[in-house]
Amino acid sequence: MLLEREITSWKRHKAGFVVEDVSTIIKESVEATIGGNAYQHNRVNQWTTSIVEQCLSQLSKLGKPFKYIITCVIMQKNGAGMQTASTCFWDNSTDGSCTVRWENKFVYCIVSVFGLAI
Amino acid sequence: ITSSTCLEVLQRLVVFNPDEISVSVKECVEGVIGGTDYNQSKVNQWTASIVEHSLTHLVKQGRPFKYIVNCTIMQKSGAGLHTANSCYWDTATDGSCTVRWENRTMYCVVSVFAVAVAL
Repeated sequence: MLLEREITSWKRHKAGFVVEDVSTIIKESVEATIGGNAYQHNRVNQWTTSIVEQCLSQLSKLGKPFKYIITCVIMQKNGAGMQTASTCFWDNSTDGSCTVRWENKFVYCIVSVFGLAI
Repeated sequence: ITSSTCLEVLQRLVVFNPDEISVSVKECVEGVIGGTDYNQSKVNQWTASIVEHSLTHLVKQGRPFKYIVNCTIMQKSGAGLHTANSCYWDTATDGSCTVRWENRTMYCVVSVFAVAVAL
């Protein structure tokens, strides 16, 4: 049991970009910033800045040899349609991305983190 | 040929040039959605098409960069939208460029991030 746990943890460390860890970091940062709030035009600027900065500082604390790009979109729930797509030209074996879609009663929030190995 | 000309040429090859990319991305967007109205059944193809064409243009330039291209299309209906980006990279060699485009029925925002690859 102990050996299995050790092997899994070693594999995750070797893998570099670990999607679950990044996903957790993003979710915590969005919850802490927006929580149950409604869309407020004069505050949404601070929210997006706060979310990306918090994610970035948590990611750099992981101490991995990566460059990061984080994008955050907050949209008011109003019936409008929105579609977003990303494409990447990188090294498939070392680089990765993670996108989290979050919502509450009033807003949608989509955060994407791209990690590129140095 | 002076050494400063050499330096300029080298810089154009390895340093990110947002103006060129901006022009190329605008052409891609115009080519895909110029003159159309927001259409829920097609928007999926549009975003995929815009990012693929933009990426192809970028890669064809043959520069030593990894790229991330992101495209968002939103219907104009009064809803508020806010986006932000944050990057942890080498500010001397890496860069990004965002192009905002709109017509009567929709907004389109395309962001290109270029990260230098060690030569």
